[in-house]
Amino acid sequence: MTGEPFLSVENAVRRFEGLVAVDTVSFGIERGEILSMIGPNGAGKTTMFNLITGQLSLSDGAIVFCGEQIAKLPPQVRAQRGMGRTFQIAKPFIGLTTRENVMVGTFLRHHRYADAYDRASLVLEEVGLEARAEVPAGQLTLSERRRLEIARALALSPELILLDEVMAGLNATEVTEVIELIQRLNGRGMTFLVIEHNLKVVRAVSRRVIVLDHGVKIAEGTASDVLSDPMVVKAYLGKRAG
Amino acid sequence: MTTSAIALADATAARSKPKSLATLVGRYVGLLLLACAPLGVMWNDPYWVNILAYAYLFGALACAWNIIGGLGGQFSLGHGVFFAIGAYSVARLYLDLGLTPWLAVFPAAALATLVAVLISWPTFRLRGPFFAIATMAINEACFALANYTDRLTGGPRGILIPFRAGFWNMIFIERWKYALLNFGFMSIVVLITVFLRRARLGHYLLAVREDEDAARSAGIDVLKVKLLGMALSAALTGIGGGIFAMYVRVLDPPTLFTLADIGVKFALISLIGGIGTIMGPVVGALLIVPIENFLRGALGGAIPGGHLIVLGIILVCASLFLKRGIVGAFVGAVHRIRNRKRS
Repeated sequence: MTGEPFLSVENAVRRFEGLVAVDTVSFGIERGEILSMIGPNGAGKTTMFNLITGQLSLSDGAIVFCGEQIAKLPPQVRAQRGMGRTFQIAKPFIGLTTRENVMVGTFLRHHRYADAYDRASLVLEEVGLEARAEVPAGQLTLSERRRLEIARALALSPELILLDEVMAGLNATEVTEVIELIQRLNGRGMTFLVIEHNLKVVRAVSRRVIVLDHGVKIAEGTASDVLSDPMVVKAYLGKRAG
Repeated sequence: MTTSAIALADATAARSKPKSLATLVGRYVGLLLLACAPLGVMWNDPYWVNILAYAYLFGALACAWNIIGGLGGQFSLGHGVFFAIGAYSVARLYLDLGLTPWLAVFPAAALATLVAVLISWPTFRLRGPFFAIATMAINEACFALANYTDRLTGGPRGILIPFRAGFWNMIFIERWKYALLNFGFMSIVVLITVFLRRARLGHYLLAVREDEDAARSAGIDVLKVKLLGMALSAALTGIGGGIFAMYVRVLDPPTLFTLADIGVKFALISLIGGIGTIMGPVVGALLIVPIENFLRGALGGAIPGGHLIVLGIILVCASLFLKRGIVGAFVGAVHRIRNRKRS
């Protein structure tokens, strides 16, 4: 490798009927790192996510993943190339059991039933849902649903996992569990892009942070530098934090 | 492209094993034998054998519909088209080329599949009720068309297949042979569904039904999965149409295209039996076909169409109180009892 980034977003623009949700944003992620994306509500974080995973198309700019231009590829092809994602509003397949939810993912790389089943067992164990494997996903608690979202992303054997506010609504113990899960997977080489509101989480998991505000990247750097940047404090935390 | 297969938990530890395919098939063969029991008892009673023959055939057709309508969640009301294509194709191949219906069902299925893919390509862009309405409109358009294509369909007068009994003609003197044939076909469709439900395509169809965006994020080509499900469903429906043709031997457009009797009936049977379940369509057919026959006899003379009113009421009640059908309610009850024992 020539040190070129693993994922690189170049001058990404997305317009919605006059509103510029993402305005000329560029950043890169290196293999094996955890990059956090923060910013106030409506800053364009989820839009940026959807541009990377293909749920939305770019109005302008480019996205390169593992040396390949992916901006024109549909979302399923990007998933096949190695991108796993969670949704801000968890979208479990509620008519299926927990295991079947995960098997929908593991079937991507394991075409035989028994192989997809065994791989799903490993994934469920990893996220701590093995005891809930045969329960309909509609019966899972909020915290279990969040872990199922991560499990479904992990099931694809991805190169990169994008987490969209997986901690929202979890209590302190549950948050710690998910942080440990992310760190454990990262320790084995998994790359993450994380949208997170909880700054404790941002500090705990990420070395590098980028900040969006009104669709513009206003800061980038280490977690401690960025979180003490006065501009970030003003945009993101408001006056109270001053 | 390299795929990072980062190591997960210890791969050698002891874990739950999936139910083996043999166990699964064994279970459904048992259930099918149960469904065959009435024929074993009443094989000599022509009235009941006729009803059972219809019930098994419509069980098979509802099961075929269930592949795309239940597992895939695409509520087609246009399956009458594939049914009619199967029926007309088998009749034409048998009458014009002397091809045995046993073989004629295969080109019939291929043609039904081709038409299904051509129809579905544009209509699968529509979601939910809009897809249902579009498929229903296509059914009505084909109904009208069949009246004009005299050389293929015999127009409004229809096609008459003369009674020449013989195994290779798929025409039998003994009615129970038809019932057994239809039961065999139904068993094949049920077992195909059992395999499908375990396979990759089956899981993908369910994922597409549940949430298309999440399905795409799991690497699923949604349109391709829908088309594959529709193709399989239409092929089996076409074969069912061919078997139907050799049973009734009088084919005219109202017999093949009337929504209440064909296109909507497949969906109705699945809904009442349990949409998306494997045995639901079978249970639904074994219930609805005899009830409809009885109602037609009891009300048909006094109030024409009265049986449809009663069937409509049954459907409304089922959709209000039995959302997952009879099989769904039964499975739910079993789970509740099990959970109570455990706690």
